[in-house]
Amino acid sequence: MTNAAAPARPALPPIAFSGIRPRARWREMWLLLIVALTLYVGSISLGATEGATAGKALTLTPAEDQPLAIYLGALLLAHLAQVVAGRRTDQVLLPAVAMLGGISLLLMERLPQSLVSQSFGGLDLGLGQVQLLWLLLAIALITILSIVVRSDSWLRLYKYTWAAAGIGLLVLTFIRGEDVNGARLILVIGPFSGQPIELLKVIMVVFLAGYLSEFRPLLVEQDTRVGPLRLPPLPYLAPMLVMIALALGIVVIQRDLGAALLFFVVFLMLLYVATARAAYVVLGLLLFVAGSYLMYRLFGVVQDRVDIWWDPFKDPSGNGYQIIQALHAFARGGILGTGLGAGLPLVGGQPPIPAVHTDFPFAALGEELGLVGVLAILGLYLVVIERGLRIAAAAADDFRALLAAGLALVVGVQAFIIAAGNLKLIPLTGITLPVISYGGSSILANAVVVGLLLALSDKGVEPPPPPRAGRRFARLRDAVGGRAR
Amino acid sequence: MTDAGVRSSISRLRTAGLRSGRRPVGQNVGRLGVTLALAFVVLAAGAGYWQVWRAQELSTAPDDPAVVAAARHVVRGQIKDRTGTVLATSRKDANGEPYRVYTDPSMSPVIGYASRFFGTAGLEHTYDAQLTGVLSPDPVQQLLAKFQGNRADPQDLTLTISLKLQRAAQRMLGDDKGAVVMLDPSTGEVLAMVSGPTYDASAVANPATAQKAFARLQADKDKPLLNRAVQGLYVPGSTFKIVTSMAALSSGAITTSTTYPQQPRAEETGLLVSGFRIRDGHHPFTDGRALNYPEAVEVSCNIYFALTGLRTGGARLADWAGRVGFGHQIPFDLPTAASQVTNGGGKFGGGFKDAVEVANAAYGQAEVLATPIQMALVASTVANDGVEMKPQLVRSFSSDKDGTRTVGPQQMADVLTPDVAGEIKSAMERAVEGDFGKLFTPGAAVPGIPTAGKTGTAQLAAGEPHSWFIGFAPVDHPRVAIAVIVENAGHGASRAAPMAGDLMKLYFDTFGK
Repeated sequence: MTNAAAPARPALPPIAFSGIRPRARWREMWLLLIVALTLYVGSISLGATEGATAGKALTLTPAEDQPLAIYLGALLLAHLAQVVAGRRTDQVLLPAVAMLGGISLLLMERLPQSLVSQSFGGLDLGLGQVQLLWLLLAIALITILSIVVRSDSWLRLYKYTWAAAGIGLLVLTFIRGEDVNGARLILVIGPFSGQPIELLKVIMVVFLAGYLSEFRPLLVEQDTRVGPLRLPPLPYLAPMLVMIALALGIVVIQRDLGAALLFFVVFLMLLYVATARAAYVVLGLLLFVAGSYLMYRLFGVVQDRVDIWWDPFKDPSGNGYQIIQALHAFARGGILGTGLGAGLPLVGGQPPIPAVHTDFPFAALGEELGLVGVLAILGLYLVVIERGLRIAAAAADDFRALLAAGLALVVGVQAFIIAAGNLKLIPLTGITLPVISYGGSSILANAVVVGLLLALSDKGVEPPPPPRAGRRFARLRDAVGGRAR
Repeated sequence: MTDAGVRSSISRLRTAGLRSGRRPVGQNVGRLGVTLALAFVVLAAGAGYWQVWRAQELSTAPDDPAVVAAARHVVRGQIKDRTGTVLATSRKDANGEPYRVYTDPSMSPVIGYASRFFGTAGLEHTYDAQLTGVLSPDPVQQLLAKFQGNRADPQDLTLTISLKLQRAAQRMLGDDKGAVVMLDPSTGEVLAMVSGPTYDASAVANPATAQKAFARLQADKDKPLLNRAVQGLYVPGSTFKIVTSMAALSSGAITTSTTYPQQPRAEETGLLVSGFRIRDGHHPFTDGRALNYPEAVEVSCNIYFALTGLRTGGARLADWAGRVGFGHQIPFDLPTAASQVTNGGGKFGGGFKDAVEVANAAYGQAEVLATPIQMALVASTVANDGVEMKPQLVRSFSSDKDGTRTVGPQQMADVLTPDVAGEIKSAMERAVEGDFGKLFTPGAAVPGIPTAGKTGTAQLAAGEPHSWFIGFAPVDHPRVAIAVIVENAGHGASRAAPMAGDLMKLYFDTFGK
């Protein structure tokens, strides 16, 4: 590389450390300061409630200041790293996600710690501590991705490889995975265990962005004519449909309905973004209705979920128990909430909602922070979506636009599905509330999403390769291992 | 690739975009943003529905965990006997949640249980609000308020029961099924109330053993969860003759000197009523003499009371039985079953079917069914000169904030004139203390204290008869009235009467003569 500082550089290696020039990020700093203050106030509120419950005199000290201090310290470091790196990345995304993560930290500190216990090298950690660990890893991951990723060719060029890897991951889970509540969700490889579905959603977005951007002109302009009907160009759609159908099929077989719904909705939305053809959406919705009906008839688990959703009070102590408890929690919260730490009355030493830390954190927050808190959390997700779509709108080419939009959608739609499930707006499915739910796979996968979005938001990155012919050439070039200088 | 190459490829990209006439992806992204924003507005509306619109209803429902938790966290007040001995108290489990511990199984039918899983029963049920410190007409609201900071003010209950009498009665009943009710006739205070078989209420209240214990109790064919003293409906047999006496003497159908010339002969041939022959054992020692009222009570002559019943008539019999409590649930601290003189619906008067039913009912057979507490009240009413006191189990409520509130005696009904009460009293005294009475009712008399009473041998369709006794002592100023029934234990004299005598003796030994 001869002229690293030139504005239009030739293709950089995907990871580059050259040309670092610190750049202040005042907006991010102020927003993070607000986040820190809000979380600190939350921690004080939690501390006061817990003290009062334990029968102590009222004190205005945070619940357990160490985890929050560590978390805020990590955020400060992440911010400083961004400043030093000097990239012109988005300054709102990190604070918004940091706020969600901080809410998660307070909630996990407040829930019974015995819900999770893990030991790392003789160190026994409870729910809050493990979650803090994941959040710290997530911040590190976001920071590294947002600073280091300066090229998208590693995503763009290998979409089929990514797709194959994703399918392989699913198949592996199906063969070797372990069951959770009747769904095969967890893959254990050596000392590591995780939910591959979380990683898969990112991989799926990468594939869809790659495929749709490549075939976008064809999908937009060509039709398949069947007599008088103008249908979308089916031959170009076929490989993608097969891929999606395969993924959906496996997900459905694994009984992970939430993920199936997420994948399908994100797919449809990206298809619309790429083509702006309402016909696709209508076709997709028709397919969705037909598929849902078929699944309802074929799978007992789908039938159960729908029946519970339709009338949970029919079996209040059995199938309907969880969702009814969630609704009671929302009701107890009211408008202003019970306050952090004052909700979730323990009955027999147990919180009333069984999987509160994974499936129902939204209900728990609805109780303790009230409708006001719920609106704030929904607002934070909307901010994340808005930033993602903004990045997409400003992207240099279709692949980046679709990638950014897809990443934002994965977070937003997932948040919608689980929140709506908690609120009994749609049948409940067991997926996580992004960044808030307990769980390493989910938090790290969402960190990848945020990190990539931040990287994509920098307009100073390597320009996208020329479309079509040029890209084929580049692919050939990459295949033989050479790189143009 | 050179810089120029890159630039030209970018321009090619742009012109390609323009040439194809596509809209930029960004615009579609905008529509997507609006769609998602609307979806989140729907979420917000959903949250508002549950958190505002349905909030009150759901958060105050009895199965809301906050309400349940509040109820479970309140340490219930203690229950003590009349001397202050603790009968029910609370302990805390590993989660810091209290559960009930009961000190004596003989009290279980009265106190019941307070269980996390199976709710409350007995006095724990009746006085749930007082024991948990909630007295508001809206207990849920009150409970929530308590949970939100105000400490509850649970009240202690002091019962009228004497644990000593209670235990003795339980011991005497042994493994038999039956019931004992002891009352103070002048106040209605229940001194003992035993129902056998009893059960271990602590096992039901203890969360560790509750499920198993409760399942076993429910499956038990002897029905230990049934408080026979207030819920058991028994054929009263000859003890019911006291009720017939009340009706006959009060209504003027007979006087104490009334005799029936056909009675002695009917003892041998049976009494023909509407073509149906009522038979009775012969009383050889009466020399074939027509008996007057006290004599008939003393030897428990069924023919005499059948004739008296017929002379009184079904309507008046049912009327006076109703005055002493038959036909409706007796107001009490525990739910009572309604005793009855007939199944009702008959045309004969008082709901009786015909004269035969009245004649048989008059000596406590036919369709007459009575609870032990009802029969104890019959004895108690006679003892208290015709005034029936409301039976009560609780002497006082006390709490830290409110202090002690004593429950005074309450008159329930003025059934008999003192004269009629006196006539029945002396007849009942003869039944225990008289020359023939002693033969019929051995063991009922309290040594040194004039005792009155009446045995009953309730004939059943199958099996041994129930053994009954009702009575009181001392005759002049009765301080204790009693009803004892032992299921399938034979004649009244063989089991119930001696038990009653021993219990009344224990009463005077304990509380003075």
